[in-house]
Amino acid sequence: MPDTILVVVEQREGKLNRVSWETITAGQAVAAATGWTLEAAVVGGTASTFAAEVAAKKVAKVYAVESPKLEPYTPDAFAAALKQLITAKQPKLVLMPHTYQVRDFVPKLATAMGRAVISDCIGFKHENGKLLFTRQMFQGKLAADVSFASDAPWFATFQNGAFRGDKAEAGTAVAPVETVNADIADGVVRNKPQEVFKEAKQAVDLTQAEVIVAVGRGIKEQKNIVIAQQLADALGADLAASRPICDNGWLPMDRQIGSSGQTVAPKLYLALGISGAIQHIVGMKGARTIIAVNKDTEAPIFEIADYAIVGNLFDIVPPLTEEVKKVKAGG
Amino acid sequence: MKILVCMKQVPQKDAPLKLNETAAWIREDVSYEVNEPDAFALEEALRQKEKHTGEVVVITSGPARSQQVLREALAKGADRAIHLEDNAFVGLDALNTAKAFAAAIKDEKFDLIFTGLQSDDYGYAQTGVILAELLGWPHATIIMHLEKNDSGIRVKRELEAGFFQFVDMPLPAVLTIQSGINKLRYATLIGIKQAKNKPIRKVAMAEVQSAIGENLQKIEHLYVPQKTKKTEHIEGSPAEIAKKLVDKLRNELRVL
Amino acid sequence: MLIFRKPIPGVERPQMPADVVIVGGGPAGMACALRLSQLIDAHNSAHPDLQMTKENIYVLEKAREIGQHCLSGALLDPRSIRELLPEFEKEAPLDAKVEKEAVYFLTQKSKFKLPITPPPLRDHGNYVISLNRFVKWLGGKVEETGITIFTGFAGSELLFDGNRVSGVRTDDKGVDKEGHQKSNFEPGYDLNAKVVILAEGPRGSLTKQLVSKFDLAKDANPQTYGVGIKELWEVPSGRITPGEVIYTLGWPLTTKEYGGAWIYGGKDNVVSLGFVTGLDYPDPRLDPQRVLQEFKKHPLVSELLAGGKMIRYGAKSMPYGGWWAIPPVAGDGWMILGDSAGFLNSARLKGIHLAIKSGMLAAETAFEAMKKDDFSAASLSQYQKKVDSSWIKNELWKVRNMHQGFEQGMYAGMFHTALQMITGGRGLRNRYPAHAGHEHMRKLAELPADGGAEAHIIGPAKGDGKLTFDKLTDLYHSGTKHEEDQPSHLVIHDTNICNERCVKEYGSPCQNFCPANVYEMVDDATQPNGKRISLNPSNCVHCKTCDIADPYQIITWVPPEGGGGPNYDGM
Repeated sequence: MPDTILVVVEQREGKLNRVSWETITAGQAVAAATGWTLEAAVVGGTASTFAAEVAAKKVAKVYAVESPKLEPYTPDAFAAALKQLITAKQPKLVLMPHTYQVRDFVPKLATAMGRAVISDCIGFKHENGKLLFTRQMFQGKLAADVSFASDAPWFATFQNGAFRGDKAEAGTAVAPVETVNADIADGVVRNKPQEVFKEAKQAVDLTQAEVIVAVGRGIKEQKNIVIAQQLADALGADLAASRPICDNGWLPMDRQIGSSGQTVAPKLYLALGISGAIQHIVGMKGARTIIAVNKDTEAPIFEIADYAIVGNLFDIVPPLTEEVKKVKAGG
Repeated sequence: MKILVCMKQVPQKDAPLKLNETAAWIREDVSYEVNEPDAFALEEALRQKEKHTGEVVVITSGPARSQQVLREALAKGADRAIHLEDNAFVGLDALNTAKAFAAAIKDEKFDLIFTGLQSDDYGYAQTGVILAELLGWPHATIIMHLEKNDSGIRVKRELEAGFFQFVDMPLPAVLTIQSGINKLRYATLIGIKQAKNKPIRKVAMAEVQSAIGENLQKIEHLYVPQKTKKTEHIEGSPAEIAKKLVDKLRNELRVL
Repeated sequence: MLIFRKPIPGVERPQMPADVVIVGGGPAGMACALRLSQLIDAHNSAHPDLQMTKENIYVLEKAREIGQHCLSGALLDPRSIRELLPEFEKEAPLDAKVEKEAVYFLTQKSKFKLPITPPPLRDHGNYVISLNRFVKWLGGKVEETGITIFTGFAGSELLFDGNRVSGVRTDDKGVDKEGHQKSNFEPGYDLNAKVVILAEGPRGSLTKQLVSKFDLAKDANPQTYGVGIKELWEVPSGRITPGEVIYTLGWPLTTKEYGGAWIYGGKDNVVSLGFVTGLDYPDPRLDPQRVLQEFKKHPLVSELLAGGKMIRYGAKSMPYGGWWAIPPVAGDGWMILGDSAGFLNSARLKGIHLAIKSGMLAAETAFEAMKKDDFSAASLSQYQKKVDSSWIKNELWKVRNMHQGFEQGMYAGMFHTALQMITGGRGLRNRYPAHAGHEHMRKLAELPADGGAEAHIIGPAKGDGKLTFDKLTDLYHSGTKHEEDQPSHLVIHDTNICNERCVKEYGSPCQNFCPANVYEMVDDATQPNGKRISLNPSNCVHCKTCDIADPYQIITWVPPEGGGGPNYDGM
């Protein structure tokens, strides 16, 4: 029997969390590299309602792990249910997205099975028949390739954006779905979660933002920041700034990026009118893609930018915002 | 309330890091500081003690230098400390670290165990959850707020995208604490003086050796990430640039 | 609105009694604490029934860690550390013994090696050290002996009881930018001490307060200073030998500026190099950090550094005034040590050994005072007498007129120095007068618009990013960090002078002489000259240059919230 990879997708608020597609892509990539078979699992109160969507992707099989005790999410229930599934199906590798929920239960699950998790990986390598998982260390200053030193099952979680969800291959046919009833005894679940609610955040946590629009001195005056805010709104991004902007009180301190502010590694960082002093760079150079707009061709920011636009941000940004809005509305 | 706070000493945030000769780890000659999330965990524990009376105990594992973290915690108001002292603790993975801690505290009766939500060096975010499983205790992660009630505690969990959730839990429990949930107190002169007389129990590797095993994961290769950055210039009129950029955002970067 | 740091009024402060409070954990403060501990230990062994306690002896150190704010070249004359710890060579972190020295006079492209190394610069028998590491080690020994070092606590003001110094107030913590208490506010403690020993380094803020209150400097020459801008480099193996010492004079300075450079070979292929510029230069546009960058372009240096990596940057002022600029060093409830007093041999460019010796002499005085429980001015004046009859005086007496001789420029200075060398330091007369450095600064109107001969050292360095660096990049490598939300610790007494006068008269030299980009003039249409002073206090590296060099003398440097400042690891 060939080795299998099991991707555990996540559902949130009645919908599959779209980061799950990234994990499917990851699983497909590992399968291609190793020749192993890819399977997926959905876990929840009524997991089978989501299974079909997953089964449309190129996977060999989908398990819908169900139990009324799995709703709402608790680490006790999820760990118990997945332990049963994994013990029964014996995958070699279990992959999940590094979401808050996964962080909450996967170390428990692995420990209960006497195994380890390599978490928050940004990629993998398959060298000489060995699987290595790459992750950032010391807030992105160093990288490590980590291997498992135990028997299967192996557990790994992937960072948001490490793989492209849109690149998850569709299957040529719908994969078979097997409903698995998780047997969770009374008393296993000890936490009593209440309703999830939204709250205006007291502080901004830029480290969780996927897209950041940041302004620097080039914005010239406080009243111009609205230009950047509009772009951020259009993109669904968070607004941030380099130190001088926050020092002036034009934006609150929790929006500061840099050695004396936050260190971020978003999917996309738009630096508007930021020169790229080293104090700022160290806070954002881990961003997957950097787009910089600055009218100085020698600005150090261009050394680390993927896309450089030499020009006046007051000319460049408003049309960009309009174009973004147009495309988003048009679909 | 008897609370244990697990703390870690990590290289200072902006310390220039260098790989050691075998590139298996970093050179030790850097400045160290307390892992920031752990400082928030300690602050929360001290506040709970102030509210409900009790005891706050801090624990760390690492070489002699990591005692500094315990000293600072004692100066801020922790009552006693446990130091698993040995260079070898640095190389243990999260599972073994949690096992060592569990072994070191087996004779204690804590109501709560706090850890920071993750460490600034490894960033695995696992040790607290593993410890809960080893102890057989319930746990919750990324906690913003905590209140005692008749059946145990009610905690406020942070979820993604601005969502939160209250969870009722029995005691004893393990919580991983979110950063920035409170303002860290300063150690005072009197606190520093008093800390000198607070007990630090040293635990040698030999004492916990039987509880831990081989690491289940291995860092094969530690390196400075090379960015092969090719900067692409986007040119043209502002309208042209806008179109080209949006095209990239949509089709290449999949942000739109 | 700029809000400046000052102790919060009307707040109840915890009181802590103390026998001895040493403000400053540098070589002087640590040597003092260690010597005091040795004396107490010896006393206690000899008098088991009359035990003295170390419980109430404290060292206040504003840095988060011992040694973190210590910066120097440095070359250590082991004379005093050998007295303090005869076995120091076995355990002190010493990079190398000095084997080779050379002094060069530089022009832009060439170098002329002085055939004989001038005696003051002969360093055989001295050690290349990292002051930061040295003080860390020394501080470790102090802690081992049971003396409490409070790191992260600054002495923010002296406490007085009439004409007696009665203690030190530590910094208020948890004060926001507007001067309001944050939720974690902790008021500074009043350490009520029998004696306060000031070991704050050059231009100490409490020392300044003390000198001003009692007019201590009325019979002394005004203290004069230089600022040392330093970079630590890792160079390819074999470029320089550990213990190799090079001094340079001349380029990039002209005859109108005082200063020169040092290059010391440390161990592990680390080079310490830096440029000291006297803070009495005439052109306000001169930028000492720029001077260092220009210096590095000279082939002597660029060849040494090629392929290397700059690993750390820092700056610190140093007192040049010599013997005549030292105020009384003991009084009712106080003593002053090291650079705070001005114990620095500007001919040898060394002060660490004098700092250590002064610490030891003060410790002996404090010990006697503790024994007799007599901390009066009479009792503490023993320290003054000890200094006056020690080798500190002998050494400084011979160079007592050194820096003053340069007030008229380099050639005059060399003439006077030569004369002083053959007259035991006297020169033309026993005591040369001096003027405070900032008085030498000329107004822009009197200077050539393009800078004339100084054109290459005025204005900020652009830096090529490999050999030379702009100030912000250099600053990043100082590791300086402060709590952001706190009042400005650079206290400017009248910002109208900055905005209305200084812009025109001197062109806002604070932007140039500060090695850390703390001061900036930003556009402001509401101001008469269109510019307004803006501060980045958290960039500060605690060098005190601004307090010294500002031509209007309206800047007072006070310690920021304890724990903040540079991280001079290895410096």
